[in-house]
Amino acid sequence: MADFNWRTINIDALDPESAYNFDLSTLTPTVQPTSTQDVQTLNGQIRQLLRGGNAEGALRGGLENVPYGADEQGKVDRICLYLPAFPGPPHDVDNRMSQSNPPNRDVALTATHIQIRGSELCDTLMKYLYKGMGQGSNTAAHPSGNTGAGGRNLTPQATGGFTQASGRNFGGGEGGMSVFLSWHEKLVEMVGPGSIVRVMSDRRTV
Amino acid sequence: MPAPEVHHLFHAPIADHSFSADRSTLAVARDNNVELYHRSGNAFKLQDELRGHDKTITGVDIAPRSGRIVTCSQDRNAYVWEPSQNGEWKPTLVLLRINRAATGVRWCPNETKFAVGSGARIIAVCYFEEENDWWVSKHIKKPIRSTVTSVAWHPNSVLLAAGSTDGHARVFSSFVKGIDERPEPSVWGERLPFNTVCGEYLNPTAGWVHDVAFSPSGDALAFCSHDSSVTIVYPSGPEQPPQAVISIATQLLPFASLLWSSETELVAAGYDCGVYRLSGDANGWQLTGSLEEKEERPGMPEQREESALNMFRSMDLKGRSGGAAMDDTKLKTVHQNSINTVRSFQDSGGQTRKISTGGVDGRVVVWDV
Repeated sequence: MADFNWRTINIDALDPESAYNFDLSTLTPTVQPTSTQDVQTLNGQIRQLLRGGNAEGALRGGLENVPYGADEQGKVDRICLYLPAFPGPPHDVDNRMSQSNPPNRDVALTATHIQIRGSELCDTLMKYLYKGMGQGSNTAAHPSGNTGAGGRNLTPQATGGFTQASGRNFGGGEGGMSVFLSWHEKLVEMVGPGSIVRVMSDRRTV
Repeated sequence: MPAPEVHHLFHAPIADHSFSADRSTLAVARDNNVELYHRSGNAFKLQDELRGHDKTITGVDIAPRSGRIVTCSQDRNAYVWEPSQNGEWKPTLVLLRINRAATGVRWCPNETKFAVGSGARIIAVCYFEEENDWWVSKHIKKPIRSTVTSVAWHPNSVLLAAGSTDGHARVFSSFVKGIDERPEPSVWGERLPFNTVCGEYLNPTAGWVHDVAFSPSGDALAFCSHDSSVTIVYPSGPEQPPQAVISIATQLLPFASLLWSSETELVAAGYDCGVYRLSGDANGWQLTGSLEEKEERPGMPEQREESALNMFRSMDLKGRSGGAAMDDTKLKTVHQNSINTVRSFQDSGGQTRKISTGGVDGRVVVWDV
C-alpha cells in the first residue's frame, strides 16, 4: 500500500458527475454520418458540373448536400474542390492583370449566383467561405475549422484583389482570399450579420 | 406611437431590473448591490441600496403582491429581502447549495417559490419552510449538461422552463409537495413529480439558449438562442411529438431576452441594441419590425445642407467625412449598448401594452408595444 502513489489517481475519471465523463457528442444535434465515399462521389459529380460550365448547378449541389457527418478528410476534399470553383485569376497570369480581374468577375458571378437562395443555403455558403478562408496551405493538412481567417499573415487590404499579398501557396490559386472576401461582402449585404453568428455558433461544421 | 421613456440611471451595465407592482419602485442590479429607485415625477431617484452580496448580482426580481425582492449573484448565494415597517430591507440568506455562480432568478406567479439557474448545471427551486422558518432549496439536475442561462415559469407555478448553454430548452416540473397544489392537466403533462422533464427542445444549430418564455396561456414556449434565431414550440400532448416547432433565423445579431406580448406576438431584444417584434401562430412566425421609429431621434439636427468648405474642414480637422450633421458617436437606437432584459411593464387583458428594457449602457427604457 505504501508503494502506490495516491496522487496519480485521476479523480475526475472516477466521479460520475464531473465534466470529464461528460460525452460531448450528446450535445450536438443529430447529423447523418456520411461516409467519405459518398462525399467523394458527390465531389465527382460537382466536378463534372463545373467542367460542364454549370457553375450555378455545382454551387447549388454543394450547398444542398452538406458533408456534416463526414470525417475531416471528406470535408477538406469538398472545400478544396470549391476553391477552384470560386472565380479567381488562374495561376500563371501576370500579377498586374490579375489585380483587375477579380472584382469584375466576382461581382457578376456573385450577383447571378446569389439570386434565389434560402437562408439555410446562405448559411451553408457562409460556412464554406469561412472554411476556405481558414485553409492554411495547399496540402490542407491544417484546416482550422470554420472560424475565420487562417493563421497566416495576410495583409488587411481591401477586396481590391492584391494578389501578391494573398500568397501563392493558397489552395485554389492566387487571389483566393480576396475572392472569398468579396463573396463574403455580397453575402453579408444580403443576409446580414445573423448569418455570420450562425456560422460561429453552429456545432455542425462543414 | 409615443416616444419611449428613457431613464439613464448611471454609466454601468444593468444585469437585471425589476419594477414593483405599482411601478413606482425600480430595482436595478449594479455590481454587487441592488439600487432601489423611486419614481418622482418623470424621473427615478435613488432611494435605497441593498448591500449584502460579495460578487456581481446576476438576477433581481420583485414579487408583485408581497413586495419581496429576491437577488442572486455570482457568489453562489441568493437573498430574499423583506420590506419592514421603517422602510429598511431585511435580508434572509437562502442556501442554494450550488458550487458555481447563480445566473438568474425568477419568482413563480403565485410567489411561493423562486427558481435560480446556475453555472453548476443545477436549477435550485427554493420555497419557504414554515416549521424551520427558513428558505429551502431543491435541485433539478438531470438532464442538464451545462450552465443554465435563464428560467421562466408557467402560469400554473409548477412548470418551469430553462434555457441552457448546452443548446437545449427544457420544461421541468417543479412540483413541491406541501407547497403546490396539483396542477391542472395541460399539454405538457398530467402527473408531474419533481424533476420530470416534460419537454426538451433543440435548435438545429444547437447554439446557446439565452432566454425562454412561456406564452400567456402556457401552451407554447419560445426561446432565443445565440445563433440569431428564435424558436417557438407548440406541444401537442405529453409523450407526443410537438404539434409545431417553428424556428426563425433572423438577420440581426442574437437576442438576449424575449417576452410574449400576446398569444401571437413576441417582443425580443439583444445585441443589436434595439427591440424587435415577431408575430405569428402555430402555422408560422416572422419578424415584423422594430419598436423604434425610423426617423431621427429628437435632438438630432435635421439640416442636411452643408457647404463644401465645412465638409473639407471637418475632414481635415476631425477626420470625419460627413460634415457637421453626421454624428457617428452615438448609435441610432435608443439603447447605446446591448439590451440584457425585457420585462413586462403594463398589461391589460392578456395583452402587454408597455415593456421595459434594461441594458449594458445603464439605461432603463419603457416602450409602448
